[in-house]
Amino acid sequence: MRPLTEEETRVMFEKIAKYIGENLQLLVDRPDGTYCFRLHNDRVYYVSEMILKLAANISGEKLVSLGTCFGKFTKTHKFRLHVTALDYLAPYAKYKVWIKPGAEQSFLYGNHVLKSGLGRITENTSQYQGVVVYSMADIPLGFGVAAKSTQDCRKVDPMAIVVFHQADIGEYVRHEETLT
Amino acid sequence: MKANREMKRLFVGGLGQGISETDLQNQFSRFGEVSNVEIITRKDDQGNSQKVFAYVNIKITEADLKKCMSVLNKTKWKGGTLQIQLAKESFLHRLAQEREEAKAKKENPTSVNTNLVEKMGGVDFHMKAVPGTEVPGHKNWVVSKFGRVLPVLHLKNQHKHKIMKYDPSKYCHNLKKISEDLTETIPITDLTWELEGGNDPMSKKRRGEFSDFHFPPQKIKKVQKGPMESKVSNISLRTNEVMESNKSTQPTTVHRKAPSTAVPSKSLHVPSSGTQKPKHMVFHTSDFEIIWNKSRMSDDDIDSEEELKVMIAKEENLQKTRHSLVNESENDPFEVVRDDFKSDTHRLRSSTSSGNDSDCDSSDTDKIIAMKKNTVKVKNSAESSQPEKSISMRSSFKKIKPSNDCVEVQNTKSNKESALGHEGKFLNPKFPPDSNTSDSEESEEDEEYKALMKNCPRVNLTLADLECLAGSHQKVPGNDESDGSQNSSHCKFNTTSKSPKTSNDLHSGRQCICPEEIVASLLEEENTYSRQKTEETTLKPKFQAFKGIGGLYAKESGDKTLKETVDFNNINEQSRSSLKHEEPDRVFIENGSKCTNGSSNKLTSCQPAKKVNNPNHIQSPKRQSTSESQSHKVVSFTCFDKESQNPLSCPLPLKGKKSLSAKSHKIESDRDTCHQPKSRKASEKEDTDSSNITSLEKPPKVSFREDPQKSTASFSLSVSDASCMSAKDKHAEDNQKRLAALAVWQKAREVQKKLVHNALANLDAHPENKKTHIVFASDNESETEETSTQEQNSPGKELVTESVGKASGKLFDSSDDEDSDSKEDSTRFNIKPQFEGRAGQKLMDLQSHFGNDERFRMDSRFLESDSEEEQQKELNEIQTNEDELAAERKQTLNVVQSVLNINLSNPTSKGAVAVKKFKDIVHYDPTKHDHAIYERKQEDNEKESKVKRKKKREEAEKLPEVSQDMYHNITTDLKEIFQHTKNTDEKEEDTPWNEDCGREETEEVSVAATLTSGAEHTSGFTFSFFDSDTKDIKEDTYRTEPVKRGKIVYQEDPRFQDSSSEEEEEEVTKEADHKRPSPGEAFPVECTRFFFFSENDDRLHGRSILPFSGVEQVVVQLLLIVYSTQLHLQVLTHCSLMCFIPLHYKAFRGQ
Repeated sequence: MRPLTEEETRVMFEKIAKYIGENLQLLVDRPDGTYCFRLHNDRVYYVSEMILKLAANISGEKLVSLGTCFGKFTKTHKFRLHVTALDYLAPYAKYKVWIKPGAEQSFLYGNHVLKSGLGRITENTSQYQGVVVYSMADIPLGFGVAAKSTQDCRKVDPMAIVVFHQADIGEYVRHEETLT
Repeated sequence: MKANREMKRLFVGGLGQGISETDLQNQFSRFGEVSNVEIITRKDDQGNSQKVFAYVNIKITEADLKKCMSVLNKTKWKGGTLQIQLAKESFLHRLAQEREEAKAKKENPTSVNTNLVEKMGGVDFHMKAVPGTEVPGHKNWVVSKFGRVLPVLHLKNQHKHKIMKYDPSKYCHNLKKISEDLTETIPITDLTWELEGGNDPMSKKRRGEFSDFHFPPQKIKKVQKGPMESKVSNISLRTNEVMESNKSTQPTTVHRKAPSTAVPSKSLHVPSSGTQKPKHMVFHTSDFEIIWNKSRMSDDDIDSEEELKVMIAKEENLQKTRHSLVNESENDPFEVVRDDFKSDTHRLRSSTSSGNDSDCDSSDTDKIIAMKKNTVKVKNSAESSQPEKSISMRSSFKKIKPSNDCVEVQNTKSNKESALGHEGKFLNPKFPPDSNTSDSEESEEDEEYKALMKNCPRVNLTLADLECLAGSHQKVPGNDESDGSQNSSHCKFNTTSKSPKTSNDLHSGRQCICPEEIVASLLEEENTYSRQKTEETTLKPKFQAFKGIGGLYAKESGDKTLKETVDFNNINEQSRSSLKHEEPDRVFIENGSKCTNGSSNKLTSCQPAKKVNNPNHIQSPKRQSTSESQSHKVVSFTCFDKESQNPLSCPLPLKGKKSLSAKSHKIESDRDTCHQPKSRKASEKEDTDSSNITSLEKPPKVSFREDPQKSTASFSLSVSDASCMSAKDKHAEDNQKRLAALAVWQKAREVQKKLVHNALANLDAHPENKKTHIVFASDNESETEETSTQEQNSPGKELVTESVGKASGKLFDSSDDEDSDSKEDSTRFNIKPQFEGRAGQKLMDLQSHFGNDERFRMDSRFLESDSEEEQQKELNEIQTNEDELAAERKQTLNVVQSVLNINLSNPTSKGAVAVKKFKDIVHYDPTKHDHAIYERKQEDNEKESKVKRKKKREEAEKLPEVSQDMYHNITTDLKEIFQHTKNTDEKEEDTPWNEDCGREETEEVSVAATLTSGAEHTSGFTFSFFDSDTKDIKEDTYRTEPVKRGKIVYQEDPRFQDSSSEEEEEEVTKEADHKRPSPGEAFPVECTRFFFFSENDDRLHGRSILPFSGVEQVVVQLLLIVYSTQLHLQVLTHCSLMCFIPLHYKAFRGQ
């Protein structure tokens, strides 16, 4: 367990900023306590100071996880967001996509969102913008990347992919063993 | 020759750059009559011309054409190799031709199409009828969907020999274009227009500046169809274009291809793909029907541009008003929302809720007559703004609803925003109404309370009373959440349901069914009051633990476990019996408040207990009244006394219980369930009692033990207060007693502690010879372990066991008190004083090396002196740790800055920024002071009202004592007055008062008495026609009521006041018609109000602030002036005024 290097921090923040934009600073500088990011087993954890202190008592190899896992660094040192970060990112999300009830399941099985399943989208969403996917009942379902801008979404045919799947809450079931 | 001349269109390619139309004209005029030359220059991205070619319209004969081609083709001319081909006719030309033809056809209508139309009886294919209705007069012709008349087809199935009936009204995809009618169309020149745009290639292409010949596919979408369809598509396309070209509609000469059919398909097929193939109309949505109808309505010639513009404007209006919004992406099944999108359902709910609020507010306003003017105004504005808001909301909502079908356009958004703005506007007036509702609720509570009080005469203020009080208390706060109207009904229902019960339930066994509730309510009350009293704030958490039945039950179970441990320690057999006794107890509590059946023995046991208790209750009120009178003296203590008054009913049974305790433990169990407060003294006594009883092995001991557990130290305070109250009347003595009781209790605690210490010391002393091994644990644990082992292992040492048993018995008896027990528990884990602090920790470490071996006791001498340094070091460590974290945060913030490319302000101010940003999502922290704004004010009001209510009830119940000096204070004004007019008044005074008093009897008597007695005291002449007893009593009312008037009624609870005062006034006007049952309760107040105010009477001020608004206030002021001037003239006028004011007041109220 160690703090992130600056490079790692930058990579991760760039990724997170795709989803929440400048709200990122609210994650870093929280009014309700000190929170920090910690790298452990290539995974980045978002930990409160208190838990951090507690976790310091546990040796590195025994420690499975602490705080909330935001994602992990791949071998190529890219950052991959995990669905566990959804709870922290969804409230701050700048661009949202609501998907129709029929398409919910498909998304939760890890599929991309087609235009036919697109219920609602934030205007001015640009292409490849990170979005948080909601159900029509405003329940955050996961992360995605806009495959088309909002304008393009209007034109494409219904079977075209409009949101690329990134992470969804179905992973809690599907990838239980890797989500820590 | 001439006849053969035909209009040809020639393509002339490979022209040079500098060619002109006249050149071409001259060149080609050799072969024929050139009518039009069009040179087209194709340029690349840089603007260099790549190709130049031309179209030449020429009237030429076949022979000449051939000649021309052979002569000019592939010849070099003006820097280019000519290439001449026969071009296709200009589509506009052809269109014009076709139209001409169509026109000609129309003039002599013989076509099949028109025949068909005629066959339909002149109704041009459309009927406004429900789909499926048969066309009258034509068999097998039905109105299909969207009003088109179609024949029912009978088709033979391919493989089977069945004839299928095809009813077009049941299908959608059955519309097929048969032919076109070109007669009624837009003039060709209007079909094209220019597109504005920048210099980018896209807009260039849009404008028709292409690098190759193809027209953009969008342009090809141009539609030529039957009248209806063409119009539809025209309009829609037109609007599309309008949208694209920034709402500039300037038709110019960009050419379009004419003939194809557009399909405004609503299905999931995209329009672009639909336009290419479509030969059938797919009408799904009502949206299109609407457009269609619209276009039908304006079915006349749309030739002129103006008309078209009008059409467009209409269409735009339609867009605005209708939910179907024709946009370029009209068929998109999803909607686009803004960044700050919030789900509509929430908005709707909030709006409806606000509407409800204002609704119930309006109903409230009916009741609240004397109200602050501005609040009323605000409310009115709220009400007025509500309808329009709702309308806007509705409209906007309509638009949002069909979001599945169409995309929201800017219009809707703006509408939505306006709606939101409405809502926001509405939010402001929402708040005062809320407070109003709370007010009204309070007043309702008050009314309820009063009804309650009326129903139960104060003599029987028993558990039943308390119970229903508790019920109402618990219910009313619960109802606060719900609608106001509902609330009122609920409250009323409560009162009606409860009030009869109060009288009935007095002796029923049900009283003891929900004592938990009573306790809970009592504790709640105490909780509320504890805020007002700073001394009680410390006790608050404890009470909160008590709150609710669930908590009680949890506590009960906790007690049970505690008791079990006690029993474990006590090896006596009685533990079993106590457990047994516990069982029904628990069952009883489990059954909760609702179990009427409960356990049968419980009920039976409760009833006798009640019977025993009741006499006590009947005795109590007297004391209560006295205590209340005392409590009235000190305002700060009133609430406290109130509380104590409620529990009063229990200490009294306690007394009876004490006497009965030997007899039946069931009574005690009853008391257990009540958990009612005990006086400290009583508990002390009981402690001793219980110790006796334990020696006797009596079951009641359990209950005894439990009771002190229940009565927390803090609670005992009020309890002791109550008991003291019952014992003596004086407040000072109360305090003294309380303090004394506290002291006694503390002493007892000391004694207990000593006992514990001794016992532990004894235990410590023993192990020395016994111990064979070192226990690696903390001291305390080992000690207890040792005690247990000792107890088990040494049966022979009976003396020791007994002492231990006694000690433990004493220990746990005395520590029965729950929190004391818990304290005991907690103290066990407390760090011993010698082991406190950093040094102590080291010492303990040292000590732990040797275990509990007495030979190696460590003390501070063994400590090394480097502790301070280490301390410093550790502090530094912590400091560095924090520094590290801060540095890390700084770093991450820097990264954030670099990532986001924004300049973050200094981190300290960022907290504020965050808070500002998430204003609607605030993590509420009750410990923070500034978060008090998020608390609902209602609670305070409620509390206040409770206090007021209590006070009111108090005053209604009793006739408190009045000190003489107060009395003098009132009459000082009169003193001078009467000194002035003493001589005249003497006689005049008598007559009117006699008159009045003769009619009004007791009420007026009181007034007269006070007046006259005032005169007596001030002027010194002894004159009275009433005996002193009555005077005293009546004076009481005078003294007390003004306080009530000025503070409670007028300011806090105007509605209630209004009703009551109205009553009173009515009574005044009716005067002696009926006597009221409680003399001197309300009426004298009225008298005082109008009788005893001087010019700057604070009572008057207090009144003028609130209930008298506007005119009324003026009237009162007037009366006041009149009053002060006339006061010394005649008392008679007073009397007349007294009758006069209420009348007028009432009249104004009626307005």
